[in-house]
Amino acid sequence: MGVNYQTVLWNKNKKVYDKWIGIGILVYLICFIGITVATNPATSIETLIIRAFGTLAIALLHIVLVIGPLARLNTNFLPLLYNRRHLGVSMFLAALVHGGFSIFQFHSLGNVNPIYALVTSNMDYDSLTHFPFQVLGFFALIILFLMASTSHDFWLKNLSPKTWKRLHMLVYFAYALIIMHVFLGAFQQQPSFASIGILIFGFIIIASLHLIAAFKETRIDATVTQDTEDGWEYVCDVNDIPEDRAKIFIVEKERVAVFKYNNQLSAISNVCKHQGGPLGEGKIVDGCVTCPWHGYQYLPHNGQSPPPFTEKVATYELRIQNKKVYILPTPLPEGTEVTPILI
Amino acid sequence: METLIKIIPVLILIYFGIGVLFGIYFFAKGAAKIDSLISESKWTVRLFLVPGAIGLWPILLIKILKTSKS
Repeated sequence: MGVNYQTVLWNKNKKVYDKWIGIGILVYLICFIGITVATNPATSIETLIIRAFGTLAIALLHIVLVIGPLARLNTNFLPLLYNRRHLGVSMFLAALVHGGFSIFQFHSLGNVNPIYALVTSNMDYDSLTHFPFQVLGFFALIILFLMASTSHDFWLKNLSPKTWKRLHMLVYFAYALIIMHVFLGAFQQQPSFASIGILIFGFIIIASLHLIAAFKETRIDATVTQDTEDGWEYVCDVNDIPEDRAKIFIVEKERVAVFKYNNQLSAISNVCKHQGGPLGEGKIVDGCVTCPWHGYQYLPHNGQSPPPFTEKVATYELRIQNKKVYILPTPLPEGTEVTPILI
Repeated sequence: METLIKIIPVLILIYFGIGVLFGIYFFAKGAAKIDSLISESKWTVRLFLVPGAIGLWPILLIKILKTSKS
């Protein structure tokens, strides 16, 4: 949404959030190394680093993956969603340390290129018990690299939000690769039922939260408008919409958010231009509809981001009769001004 | 199967090798060709974009070529 690009868009909240990420990572590493050294003093420093950062990356990946559905289910988690980008990059850096040290320790001491050695040193690709699990981790690392390296608004704008979103949805493929990487690795080396149990628990949590969030989405999609005689469709009673908030409805298969503010109503598309965030789950801040995901703003009466920003969403015409709100289902071109209706 | 597996790391190395060369070009000129806002931003932003350019160089190359033609 910026008028020029910054390396990192810092603000006070992000700094606090990043400080907590740093403290969390440090505490985890100290605890992991302390417990490992106390219980298994023979562990080499390289193995310690590989395992500490590997488990750290998996823990962070789980947190990254649950933030989305948690924010859909409870708005208290929205600040985490707003700041998720830095957590994702931290997760990649932890995975990079894990992968880098692993490749260095196991594949870089011969006279063959380490990447070539990684893929070809164990050719048991048709065996489950001897499968070269490191290769799965390597491909997951490549996906995480592509995601972390495109975690900047430049990429979102120039790859297009749709392509960018598709690229970042690969995190689920990376997660599957990592699960297989850990399971096959654990079975081939020192089977630890505790770590396998934690991983299964994590998978159940992630899958359950996504399913519950998807169920909630289907309930929103079930909130459709009702036809009336002259092309207008009944939306809801005006009192059903909270002040400075919206109700979301399906109009002509599109999600539309009807906002109530300053004793008036306006309707705009529910889909934020930034990352497709649900505008109708945001609120009016400083006179603007504010996306709950990343704070992108739109004026409710014309769907335009306040100058100098240029994002626009479609607007809709509303009317009110006996406290009942009606909408014309055809969207107006993005950024079209519509006079708000007085309640 | 074995030959295919041996080709994969070579392809990866070639892909990222070209990516590194493209990343240098992207830092110097390419980024500004596809987005004029880059010219108004600090050089550190362009540096920050280099890893992404290394990873996604085919998409960016097509974009730059299209921009140059139009």
